[in-house]
Amino acid sequence: MRKEFKGLMVLMSLVALMAAGCAKEEVIKKDEPVVQQQTVKQAEPVAQVAAPPVQTVAPVVAPVQEQVAAKASEAVSLATVYFDFDKSDLRQDARDALSQNAEALLKKIAGVNIRIEGHADERGSDEYNMALGDRRAKSAAKYLTNLGVKADRISTVSYGEEKPAVQGNDESAWSKNRRAEFLIVQ
Amino acid sequence: MKRIIRLLFGLALLCSLTGTAGSATYIEVTAPGNRLLRLAIVPAQPLGATIKPELANEMAEAQVFDLTMSGLFTAERRDAAPLPQGLGLSVIDYIPWLSAGYDLLIRGEYELRGDELTVEFRLFDVLSKRPLLIKRYLGSRTDLRRFSHSFVDELLATLAGERGPFSSRILFVSTQSGNKEIFAMDWDGHHLQQITKSGAITISPDVSPDGREIIFTSYKRGNPDLYKRALSSSVDVPLSTRPGVNITGAWSPDGTKIALGLSKDGNTELYLINRDGSAPERLTVTQAANLSPSWSPDGSKIAFVSDRLGRPHIFIMDANGGNVRRLTTNAGNNFNPAWSPKGDKIAYTHQSGGFQIFVINTDGSGDTQLTSEGSNERPRWSPDGRLIAFSSKRGGNEAIYVMRADGSGQTKVSRSGGNSTHPVWTPHH
Repeated sequence: MRKEFKGLMVLMSLVALMAAGCAKEEVIKKDEPVVQQQTVKQAEPVAQVAAPPVQTVAPVVAPVQEQVAAKASEAVSLATVYFDFDKSDLRQDARDALSQNAEALLKKIAGVNIRIEGHADERGSDEYNMALGDRRAKSAAKYLTNLGVKADRISTVSYGEEKPAVQGNDESAWSKNRRAEFLIVQ
Repeated sequence: MKRIIRLLFGLALLCSLTGTAGSATYIEVTAPGNRLLRLAIVPAQPLGATIKPELANEMAEAQVFDLTMSGLFTAERRDAAPLPQGLGLSVIDYIPWLSAGYDLLIRGEYELRGDELTVEFRLFDVLSKRPLLIKRYLGSRTDLRRFSHSFVDELLATLAGERGPFSSRILFVSTQSGNKEIFAMDWDGHHLQQITKSGAITISPDVSPDGREIIFTSYKRGNPDLYKRALSSSVDVPLSTRPGVNITGAWSPDGTKIALGLSKDGNTELYLINRDGSAPERLTVTQAANLSPSWSPDGSKIAFVSDRLGRPHIFIMDANGGNVRRLTTNAGNNFNPAWSPKGDKIAYTHQSGGFQIFVINTDGSGDTQLTSEGSNERPRWSPDGRLIAFSSKRGGNEAIYVMRADGSGQTKVSRSGGNSTHPVWTPHH
């Protein structure tokens, strides 16, 4: 009984924290000097912010604290960002995904560090692709720090073409392999 | 100890024979017209009680392959009656070889005692009816291919003025054991040996000019870092573990410096570091990627890949970073430059669809495509510049191939499983 109560308290505080996060978010957005993202942010986060609390509230019955904590970080999956061939600059869809990721990193998972893994498709030499993956990871990292994520929470590594997400020798495979992935490390 | 003494004795004998038979420099043996010299190889005959025709056959076949790939000979294995007095005392009857149209003849003799192998090879000029080269080798049975290659290398020095590359080994990257690791093999694919066991992606080997150490990039600690290892050791020494990439390390010809690509300051730029990894000196300053350095043989210049003008091209600069100029003028997507040992050419990979190997003069003229079948990458010159090793995907797995410098004679040499890539020759020694 006591254990359950404790779990509930944790849950409630978690929900409260999230609510606070939501409130704070508005403030950050208004203060943020970057205007270009405004439109996208309005459309995207609404759905996103609404969804997780439902998920966290649902397992209210779940009594154990660890389980809740695990659920909370599981609920946050950082979006993979995709690039054009031989490019490391960020497309609009990449900027949108990074904004989502930044939001999560600033609120839901404000305590974690991440590693950004830069990848390339199989075209180009192995080492050229390592340099390219490095540029992609750093490009994504820079965007996150511009959105307020502290640089010391982010590390980068390039795998070049060594770890394709999809096997294949055509554009449909390549387009999925030119990417930056975001891994929670702590 | 006894074995070492024997080996020293053998070496001394070898030297003395070189002195007398080779008479130092190069004997001009040329075939009339433009035809290749015809060379017959008779499998070595046994001396003593142990008769192992398979050893003689293996030596002859290794030499036929070497000589054929040299591009100077039509080499054929020919059986002949053993010389009754042995190689040393018999008089060679040149007439049958002359009438069969041969210019040159190799005969040999071997003695196997337990595991100890002694081999002597002799090269004869059929036309002038005299021996041109006599070499005697002492070692163990497993050395027989090495002896065979070594004799062909000496033969090329005698007949063409420069040693052959066939005693060299090729280091390369193979997925045979799972992840990419560095392996070594004889130039013709024999004596496969796994060098690194990092358990992580390990690529881009380069060999020190003295042939004793290799450098390579490995993810064994999570980041693409540069390591060094003595070939006689199994310890990887971290050389450059700077944040970002530490890739495409290339030893300077004098062995004192290593050029490599580092992204510690943002994008990938070329730096020089000392052979212990210290004192990075930046060579390029761009907003682009700069990597894959290849030194000119005199150490004064470096060819490299850069996408500073858009598509990746091959550039050349002074070894201190000055006088940068673009070498390739095609549509771009050029990688992996390799400066020829003679200094006059640069081989590289060009990509349009698949990869193909090109060679271009260092002044930008004479751009020539050498490969067209399948996808071919990463040319690397043999130490004498006669051959180019590369990786090729023609149907099945990627494998190491070797061709002559003019693109002829493209032959698969690796016998390892998985994909084999990133070949590099060990230097003459």
